Amino acid sequence: MAKPKVIVVRVRGILERSGDIDPARLRRAYERGIRALTGAASLDEGLGRLFRPSDRVGLKINTIGGRKISTRPEVALGLAAAFKGTGVPDKSILIWDRTNRELRDAGYALSLGSSGVKIYGTDTDGAGYEDELYAKGNIGSLFASIQSRFATASVSLALLKDHGLAGVTAGMKNYFGAIHNPNKYHDDHCDPFVAEVFAAPPVATKHRLTVLDALLVQYHRGPAYHAQWADRAETLVFGTDPVATDAVGWRMIEALRAAHGLPTLAEEGREPRYLATAERMGLGRGGSDAVEVVEEEA
Amino acid sequence: MNRRRFLRTAAGAGVVLGAGPCPFLEELYAFGPSANLSDVEARYYRKLPDREVECVLCPRNCRLGDKERGYCGVRENRDGRYVTLVYGKACAANVDPIEKKPFFHFRPGTTSFSIASAGCNVNCRFCQNWEISQVRPEQVRHSDLLPEAVVAAALRTGCASIAYTYSEPVVFYEYMYDTAVAARRRGLKSAVVTGGHINREPLEALLEVVDAVKVDLKAFRDGFYREYVRGELKPVLEAIRTIAAGKVWLEIVYLVIPTLNDDPAEIRDMARWVREAAGPDVPVHFSRFQPMYMMKNLPPTPVSTLEKARAVALEEGLRFVYIGNVPGHAAENTVCPGCGRTLIERYVFDIRRLDLKDGRCPYCRTAIPGVWT
Repeated sequence: MAKPKVIVVRVRGILERSGDIDPARLRRAYERGIRALTGAASLDEGLGRLFRPSDRVGLKINTIGGRKISTRPEVALGLAAAFKGTGVPDKSILIWDRTNRELRDAGYALSLGSSGVKIYGTDTDGAGYEDELYAKGNIGSLFASIQSRFATASVSLALLKDHGLAGVTAGMKNYFGAIHNPNKYHDDHCDPFVAEVFAAPPVATKHRLTVLDALLVQYHRGPAYHAQWADRAETLVFGTDPVATDAVGWRMIEALRAAHGLPTLAEEGREPRYLATAERMGLGRGGSDAVEVVEEEA
Repeated sequence: MNRRRFLRTAAGAGVVLGAGPCPFLEELYAFGPSANLSDVEARYYRKLPDREVECVLCPRNCRLGDKERGYCGVRENRDGRYVTLVYGKACAANVDPIEKKPFFHFRPGTTSFSIASAGCNVNCRFCQNWEISQVRPEQVRHSDLLPEAVVAAALRTGCASIAYTYSEPVVFYEYMYDTAVAARRRGLKSAVVTGGHINREPLEALLEVVDAVKVDLKAFRDGFYREYVRGELKPVLEAIRTIAAGKVWLEIVYLVIPTLNDDPAEIRDMARWVREAAGPDVPVHFSRFQPMYMMKNLPPTPVSTLEKARAVALEEGLRFVYIGNVPGHAAENTVCPGCGRTLIERYVFDIRRLDLKDGRCPYCRTAIPGVWT
């Protein structure tokens, strides 16, 4: 069995002094990441291997942290723009999260028109949650209709952060924003909840790609923003194996913690155990020997 | 589900609970979707460094960074200031018989103006009201109904009390507390229906302003609490002890779930503990489970199981043991422990006959504990 591949693209200088993002470097980062991940000769071809022109693509972002520590609008819009050459029309791409308020607070301008890339939250009139409770294992949740109905293909465009309860929040936990009751799933270090939410058909059958926004990484005392423990890592991480991608993100957090003299998450008793659970459930592979990590510079 | 439909469903809590919203409330307060959540500072929390807070209202003691919410989903850290989002935000408001709570020894035959907000601090797999208890306040339509308005509505509808119920009132503590204070000023009583997950200090303060508490004791094994409730048994028992030690009227409901908490040995342990910790006069209701929410794989509780549980509790010396959710069962009635005569005859939530005189059996003069006037 081939090892899952995770691409770590470092984009030195992408964060300008003002905090803005250099769009050309961002485009290059997407190109490097997707090409390395898929083995394609171009970004269009690479995305074309992951998505069909008929897909409706949900880009699930994370905006709970406000403007300081959310998936940046430039990053999400940049990924949406990367679909231009794939045959997926703009109107079939939706950048979304739980609420319009959180989207606006994170700097997104809502877009609800019938043409162009859409940007809105689950609380938009006409969106909302499913009627039927999804109940399996430890999960009893209503899924956002964006995830269950609109999207035929899903990208977790997540922020990579330390998380006081989960250990790490990355691509898999990002789907907590696709259910109505994430507050109920933070016991026991979010284990097995992260894995079980991800394993639910509205996610598992649609997830195609994880992109971790690690441009600014909250490596300690997350998920809230604390400037003293936020590192300008200027990195994007790409993977199709959700467990492997998050496991690489976890190792990045650990490396940053070590570099700043902090104990490991395991030493703090809060390593992301949900990754091992996810692996046992067959959702992917996370062990360091089981993943091929490719490092790129853009 | 689209938002509108979801909101409609959520607002149907009254339907779920067996009674519609009070009709005049629909007119007066126009229940509707609203994003204008409250921003009232919570009363039980500790400020921590770096804009973090620790909620000390319930035993979860959630520690939260900026913008995070507690397990209940209705309390949020806003830049180091911890707020309740549901103060004055009633997602259900109904006029209910007090027997529906159930309280059997607290103002029988009266109605109680019953309110709830969204949210809960546990997540019972068998929750009957999950459409309001297991959602965030943005996901349920609610009415702006401040404490004085609740009291006014209760008086206008002829209620003898206000009940904080349906979801988990601990999570709307400040709203409940202030409403209870306002209610008492106007001669209304307050009745709390809770799972009992609350810390001692806020509980003791609450007991100063309310008149009755019904605790849902969901099992007598911690393993059950951890697996099916996502809570703990110990703090609930501590809460029951605290309530029983005070002046507030206490009743206990035990929902009997086939194969999970119906072992006679567990029932015996529970009954013995109640007798010792709260006294033999605390009414205990064994309620029939109906499959719902995340627990649809089990059948309704056989009536014989409930009867067995009741028999065990009576053997252990509890004097008022009822069976609930079995319409017409003889164990809905209150029987005098002195002479064995039926003193209060009930049918579901109706009082068919109330035969008490000054809180005593009119036949043998045995005092029947409760709040009768």
